[in-house]
Formats: sequence, C-alpha cells, structure tokens
Amino acid sequence: MIERRRALVFGVVVVLIYMFLLAPIVIVVLAAFNSGEYLRFPPEGFSLRWFGKFSQSGPFVRAFLFSSKLAVTTMALSTLLGGTAAFYVVRHSGRFRDPLRILLVSPLQLPTILTGIALLIFFYGVGIGTRGMGALLVGHTLVSVPYVFLTVSTVLVGFDRSLEEAARSLGASPAMTLRRVTLPLIKGGLVSGALFALITSFDQFPISLLLSSVGNTTLPILLFDYLRFSFDPMAAAVSTVSILLSSVVVFIVHRSIGLESMMWGGPR
Amino acid sequence: MVRVSFLLKAPTGAYTNVFTIDNYARVLGDSFQWRILQNTIWYSLITTVIALVLGFPLAYAIAHASRRVRPLLLMLLISPLLVGVVVRSYGWMIILGTVGLVNQLLKGIGLPSAQLMDNPMAVIIGLVHVLLPFMSLSIAGALQNIPPEVERAARSLGASPSSVFWRVTWPLSLPGVFSGTLLVFVLAVSSYVLPILLGGNHVLVMPILIVLTLLDAFNWPLGSAQAMVFFGLTAVLLWIYVKLMNRAMRWSHR
Repeated sequence: MIERRRALVFGVVVVLIYMFLLAPIVIVVLAAFNSGEYLRFPPEGFSLRWFGKFSQSGPFVRAFLFSSKLAVTTMALSTLLGGTAAFYVVRHSGRFRDPLRILLVSPLQLPTILTGIALLIFFYGVGIGTRGMGALLVGHTLVSVPYVFLTVSTVLVGFDRSLEEAARSLGASPAMTLRRVTLPLIKGGLVSGALFALITSFDQFPISLLLSSVGNTTLPILLFDYLRFSFDPMAAAVSTVSILLSSVVVFIVHRSIGLESMMWGGPR
Repeated sequence: MVRVSFLLKAPTGAYTNVFTIDNYARVLGDSFQWRILQNTIWYSLITTVIALVLGFPLAYAIAHASRRVRPLLLMLLISPLLVGVVVRSYGWMIILGTVGLVNQLLKGIGLPSAQLMDNPMAVIIGLVHVLLPFMSLSIAGALQNIPPEVERAARSLGASPSSVFWRVTWPLSLPGVFSGTLLVFVLAVSSYVLPILLGGNHVLVMPILIVLTLLDAFNWPLGSAQAMVFFGLTAVLLWIYVKLMNRAMRWSHR
C-alpha cells in the first residue's frame, strides 16, 4: 500500500518535471497559431496570419534561406569529415588514433562562445575576415563534426567485417564493396549524424553571433535581435518552423538507430 | 587568442604588436568585473543544484522504465535539447512576461501582477530548463549500469526503500551525477542568449560582458583577457571540484 502510494507520488513528480520541460515549447507553438497579439488562455482563435507575416518579411525570409543553405552545406561537409574520421578511428590502430578522437570530440566540451572568439581572432589574424559564408561554414562544421563522428562510430563498432570480406572474395572491387555493402549497412548512423549536424547548424547561436557579418544573418541571430526589441507572435511562427524541423530529426534518428544507442552506446 | 590578450589595443584597428599585461591588470583590478564574475558563478551554481534535484528523478524514471516506455521518455527528454536556445527563451518570455501567462493568471484571480522577467530568477529558471536534459542523460547513463539485482538484493535483505536509495543507488550513481553537474555548470557559466533575453539589461554575466567588449567596444585584447581570466578561473574551480569528487567517490566505495 505504502509502496504504491510512493510510486504514485514519484510518477506525479516525474510528469510535473516533464511539463516544466515541454511547456515553453508547446506554448510557442500555441502562440504561433493564435490569432491575437498576445497569447491568452483560452486561446482566442486559430489563425495562420503570423505565418503569413513571416513569409512576407524580407529579412526573415532571407535569414531563413541563408540559414538553410548554411545548414545543408555544413551537413554535407561534416558528414564527409566526421564519417571518414570515424572509419579511421574505429578501424585502424595507428599512432594518431587516440589524439584524433580527442581532438574531434573536443568542440563538444569547450564552451561554444570560446570557440567562437578563438575563430573570430583566427580569421582576422590570417587575414580572411568574416565576410561571406566561409567563416561561418568552418565554425559550424567544427561543432557539428563530433555528432557525425559519434553516430557513425556507434554503428561501425557493431559492424560485422566478414560481410565486407565476403563481398571482396566474391570479386567485388573495393569501391563496389563500399558502395553496395558498407554504406547501406551504416546508413542509419550516417543519416542520424547528418541530421544532428543539420540541426546543430540551424540552431547554432554563439558562433554565428561572433562570425556573421552584414548581409549574412542567420535565423537564430535575427530572431534574437527581433525579440530584444519587440514581442509579437511572428517570432512564434518562425520558432514553430524550427521546432518542426527538430521534431522531424528526433523522429528519424529514433527510427534509424535508436536514441538510446546514440546517447550511451558510443565508443568509449 | 592567448596571444592577443597580451597585446596593446590599437587606437584604430584591432590590436598592435606591443606586448603588455595591462589588459590583465584591468580585468583583475576592476571590482565591477569581479562582481560580475561572482554573479555568473553564483547563478551557475544555483542552476546546477536545481538541475540535479529535478534531473535525478527523471533519470531514475528513465532507467527504471519498461522497454516500451523508455524510448518515449527519452524522446521527450531529447527533443527540447534540439530546439534552439532562442526559441526556448522565447517560450519563457511568453510565460513570464509583463502580459505573460502567469500574470494573466494572477490578474484572473484578482492579484496584482508581478515583475517576473528581467531578474536573476528568470535567468535561472531558463538555465535549468535548457540544461536539465544534460543532467538527466548523464545520470540515467550511470543508473542503467547498476544491475537491478543489486537493489533487489538489498531490499530482500531487509533494507527500507529509502536506505536502499541512499546506501546503494545513490553511491553507485555518483559517476553520472559527477559528469552531469560538471557539464551543466560549464554550460551555465558560458551561456549568453538566456541571460540577455530573460534578464533584460538587469542581469549582467561574464559572457555578455566579453561579447560587449569584443563586438561593441571592439577591444579584442581586453575581451580576450576577460575570456582568459574567466574561463581560467572556471577551470580552476572545476579542477578543485574534480579532486573533491574523486575523494568522495573513493570514500563511498570503501
């Protein structure tokens, strides 16, 4: 009896903490579809006018397109780099193995704002500056590579190499083995890593703040500037688009490799 | 960055090649900067403690959930993590703002509205919200490594649920608690967006000051020196913490 009451109280506490965790996000989505200037309870009515305002706002659309372009490029670049590095670290026992692993994961441990400052000074120091997308791309890739590296390593550790050997002994060329056997088998890890990279870049704040230049504003930066001085549900519409993107990513990652193995099954 | 922090600020551009320790003297000798430094560390400590108190039950629930429920709990924990910080701060602005939901509620039941934003409390609420998943994930990782038989054995030998928790589960979860608190503290100390959006201009923390110096005052050497002092000090604090934790863990395993 006491046992059951204890379990019940514990359950209620857990549900309350989850509500705390999810409330702000749910509320942003509600505010986006609300017709009034302020969100009230009960909501005043359903409307898409804030999405309309978002699509008609030049700066926001430009920032959205820029962020998307940057995120997709970052995704491609970090998937290539992170994936290759994972292959090397998991499959070879060279001298550079451990240093490389530590180096690759280090951006996760360093405060991103520090990475941003260091990059800012570096780019001016070597005379490139922060004009154009280059600096941002390097910064974003730097913090996204660890995710690809971790997800791809996860699937590679559990990979049965005899499948590759079988393909080779049956006469497939190395390139063909990679394309027809290895890549399909590690697809889950690659896709998850790539999506994590996409979302990290799309939501990246500190690095973008320090490295973006006039004409190259990312969506989070613009949203942040907007929120400092005004407070209208168009921001909620913008936010909802990015929340939607994150949810899709979580769902796909969960389906392809499972969140659990991603979080705790990585190489140790 | 280390090098620039020792250089003299040029009157026109970024920095000259003159070596100076003036920047450090300015950071270390300024009581204003010390106060901000103290505040930053103090807010982060409070955040870490609250995140631990709230994060542990979640981790426990995830580690003890059935195979069917666990993925759902994990998904709900990780999805907020992937929503940008700006978006989540905005959610809290809607809740806590002057015409926000809490104030509407207060008005509805006839109470005067309260100033809930632009103060350290709002910043701490936001920080706990953003960093809670990191805490829970680390602890859940440690809790999952405890074989369920250990707890069951303690129960069957006559230990009460609370003594099972304090004498078995808690000591065994310490590695997770350790990495979780470390991670949350580091992230709290270096957060920038939340203190600005939820603290208005009333809560000044080190990262804000550093960015102001770097971008608005365009003083790179001073900004770099600030960053070095700040993160150096944080590193020293963490080092002391690691030493203490190691000792505590050795003690509890005896």
